[in-house]
Amino acid sequence: MELVPAVFPFIPLSIVLPLLGIVLIVLLEEKFAKWIALVFSGAVLVLSLVSLLYFDFSQAQKVQFYQSITLIEELRLNLSFGADGLSYLMYILTTLVSFVAICWSIRDHQINHRLKEYYAWFLLSESSLVGVFTSWDMLVFYVFYELTLVPMFFVIGIWGYKLRLYSAYKFFVYIFVSSLFLLLGIVSITVEHYRQFGKFSFSYFDLLQNQYSLAFGLFLFLLFFIAFAVKTPIVPFHTWLPDAHGEAPTAGSVVLAAILLKMGTYALLRFNIGLFPEVAVFLMPVLVLWGIATIIFASWFTISQSNVKRFVAYSSVSHMGFVVAGMFLLNKEGLRASIMEMFAHGLTSASLFMMAGFIYNRLHSFNMQALRGSIRFMPVFAVLTAITGFSSMGLPGGSSFWGKFLTIMGAREYTLQLALLVLAGAFFSVLYVLYLLKTLYLDVKEEGRLVHFTDVRGFKLVAFLLVVVPMLLVGLLPFLFFAFFDAHIDLLLRMVLKSLGGGLWN
Amino acid sequence: MELKDLIQIEIPKLALFVPELVVLITGFVLFSLDLIYKRLSHSLAISVSVIGYTLALLYLVFNFDLRGETFYGLYVRDSFSSLLQVFMILLTIILLAFTLQYQRFKRSLYGEFYYLLSFSLLGGMVLVSSYNLLLIYIALEAVSVSFYILTALQRRDFTSKEGAFKYLILGGLAIALASYGAVFLYIYAGSFDLRQVLHFNAPDKSLLILGLVFFLFGLAIKIGVVPFHFWLPDAYQGAPTPITAYMSSVGKIAFFAPVLRVMPLVQESFHNIWVLAVGTLAVITFLYGNFVALVQKDVKRMLAYSSIAHSGYILAGVSVASAIGLKAVIYFLLAYSIMGMLGFLVLAVLERSGNWENKLEDFDGLKHSQDFMAWVFAIALLSLLGIPPTVGFLIKALIFMSLAYGKLWWVGILMIVGVGVSTGYYLRLIVLMFMKEGERRAITNPTGFEKASMVLMAVSLLILGILPMLLWNYISPTSEMLFRR
Repeated sequence: MELVPAVFPFIPLSIVLPLLGIVLIVLLEEKFAKWIALVFSGAVLVLSLVSLLYFDFSQAQKVQFYQSITLIEELRLNLSFGADGLSYLMYILTTLVSFVAICWSIRDHQINHRLKEYYAWFLLSESSLVGVFTSWDMLVFYVFYELTLVPMFFVIGIWGYKLRLYSAYKFFVYIFVSSLFLLLGIVSITVEHYRQFGKFSFSYFDLLQNQYSLAFGLFLFLLFFIAFAVKTPIVPFHTWLPDAHGEAPTAGSVVLAAILLKMGTYALLRFNIGLFPEVAVFLMPVLVLWGIATIIFASWFTISQSNVKRFVAYSSVSHMGFVVAGMFLLNKEGLRASIMEMFAHGLTSASLFMMAGFIYNRLHSFNMQALRGSIRFMPVFAVLTAITGFSSMGLPGGSSFWGKFLTIMGAREYTLQLALLVLAGAFFSVLYVLYLLKTLYLDVKEEGRLVHFTDVRGFKLVAFLLVVVPMLLVGLLPFLFFAFFDAHIDLLLRMVLKSLGGGLWN
Repeated sequence: MELKDLIQIEIPKLALFVPELVVLITGFVLFSLDLIYKRLSHSLAISVSVIGYTLALLYLVFNFDLRGETFYGLYVRDSFSSLLQVFMILLTIILLAFTLQYQRFKRSLYGEFYYLLSFSLLGGMVLVSSYNLLLIYIALEAVSVSFYILTALQRRDFTSKEGAFKYLILGGLAIALASYGAVFLYIYAGSFDLRQVLHFNAPDKSLLILGLVFFLFGLAIKIGVVPFHFWLPDAYQGAPTPITAYMSSVGKIAFFAPVLRVMPLVQESFHNIWVLAVGTLAVITFLYGNFVALVQKDVKRMLAYSSIAHSGYILAGVSVASAIGLKAVIYFLLAYSIMGMLGFLVLAVLERSGNWENKLEDFDGLKHSQDFMAWVFAIALLSLLGIPPTVGFLIKALIFMSLAYGKLWWVGILMIVGVGVSTGYYLRLIVLMFMKEGERRAITNPTGFEKASMVLMAVSLLILGILPMLLWNYISPTSEMLFRR
């Protein structure tokens, strides 16, 4: 992989600025906390958007804005940051959603105590998430990957709903223990690099040169896969997610669903496929079917939920099924679908959780039955919800359409049966969204109570618009986004083909 | 031929030995002060100690490149001993900030404390700088005997006496085993020098193995390796908390040092036995430590078990008898000495609240009554758990790395289990402190010195994790050097 050095330290600055914000929050009074957080995360958002002007789309497969500082020369442990098209897309998603989450919290009634800590944790979370998507040193990647746990643990445990302690424990233990396997995997490939090339290295680019026997490759692949399968999550490992997402405060759920899950899928794509292409091909049928099973099972789980937050949480699992299935199809359509779905789901899930939080502020209930027909007196909110719902469903023009459509296309390249299976998954995911929309719009409820509801406005409207507008962009102008990662997909497929000696699909 | 050539009298190179001498003189001064004054002024004793230790520390830091052997090869000064001694002295100085308030509260202010501290420090300093079995034996005794008395210092407290007694009995057994092993090693090679013993190539290695087993079992008791750990939770719980902190940091460095000196000398011929034996002990130790810590209701005892578990992680690194393993282990040992000490010192401050019993309930909502202490304790716990960017993460990563290097996958996977279990109890404390409302039992405020030292330790946990090269650049050449012996 080629590196393009940075003209301006956009990425390190995006990591350091939120930390500066934390220092200010700690030093100043509590009433300033939210504004400091807003200003600093806004600054990072602006920074990431300005950097768009400097991003060279004709070379999107190269790692741009590359900067590196050596930590331990002997182990080649470097602090190296940079972004290729894929990382860059995730970086923008992170800065956008973090800003949205803070924007939302400012007028959230749930957040009424320990404000300093609250906003400090969100800034730490933003900083570490940017680090996850832009680190090119495996150990540093792991540091940020683990660091994202701490802020969310506190956010769930302190500002969450009734079962918050249980959920916080469960979230932390699941992710922490599974990621220890990742740690063992990372140091193992480092040692393997030493065996093959005579020196240790944690650099991703160096580690790409490693060759593994199939058995050892499989072992290492599994070490990585356990961590990311729990994080993503894939169905039997998903049980932490509804608890964590269901009990977290709204902004916490937004960050969890929109970005934290993407860490798992991003890492699967970057590391499991990038470092072990042979093994990925070897396991392809299993993983694709596993992804499809995740879609279908999670859709069923979703429909049976009575708590709207858990409903949205389970729907996230089903979307992640599309990401995983598409990714391991290992062809151009599949990979495009997977990355588009990652970005699209980041937007729709953020919006859906804000929707749930907004209704909770009005009705003080997450019960599906309590929501019936609740939306009629809030026209702006109704429009936003409709766009989100149809986008999530995968209606053409909606953001998730590309993820689902291209997965089916990719599956069709193998066999018709596989495509039909994905189609079945897509069908179920339409069902649950329709069920949600029906409950919100069409069911009748005694109207007296609902008239007084104020519509969404102010900071919350800004938060909604910041995710709904990009959602429409993704749906209507997908080629804008393909420009980010098509080159990376070609590179990845070339790597897969090379590892197989050229002839895979014959 | 002159007599001089025949006996080969060596003029001792005292320059190598100055830090120990300074500590020794400090100890004697403190001893005489205690003898002379009927009511010893404790601030005087602390000042004398701090001045003495600081002088020793300064000498060490400014002559860090001092190398050589003296007393006929009994005493070795190399970068290993200097590095470990710097940490030991620093931690002892930090400890002195905490003792006075604590002992005043517990009404166990004794002048003996100060010179016993010096003598145990002296023993530890000698222990880390010798290859000679005899000197190791004497230094072990010096450290241990001081520890027995220090443990029993709260003589009105039953648990203190119980812990000290257990420690005494099993510690005596340890010394006996170690000396027995030393004898076997002497019979095998005709020398007390570990380098000569382990490089000696006899066709029959059974005596060597027997001797090493006894010697290392003796040390294992001192370290608290399962199944030789029975004294440790009682002694750690019974001892005055600052002493517990001292034993878990300086004591651990001292007792591990001979093991680390043996580790690079492991020869090809018994490498497999070493890996299997030490690896098994390591696994048993960290699994047992973590599982038992999980069910403790008493936080001090819980941290004692966590200390056992950490000895297990260190042993896991020791089982990989290679340079990368030694680097990991030295880093781990030094980092653990800070975080283990910090954990116990937080307890030492909190215990000064009237109805504080170190029970889990006492920690409910600690953040609301003692914001500062809660954050410091949280950093210590996160570091013990191994959450980046604290140093606790880095050292676990290094241990995993050396396990991967030695292809000890089973130890690696079981270590994941151990660390996974440890999540339970570290996290529980954090949850209690930050996410529960409590009765606000903690009413003491730390003094300025205590606050400063706790901040220093917490920050150093972060710094050593974020900028590993600060310590690594010393550790790496040190372990390379030990492997060239």
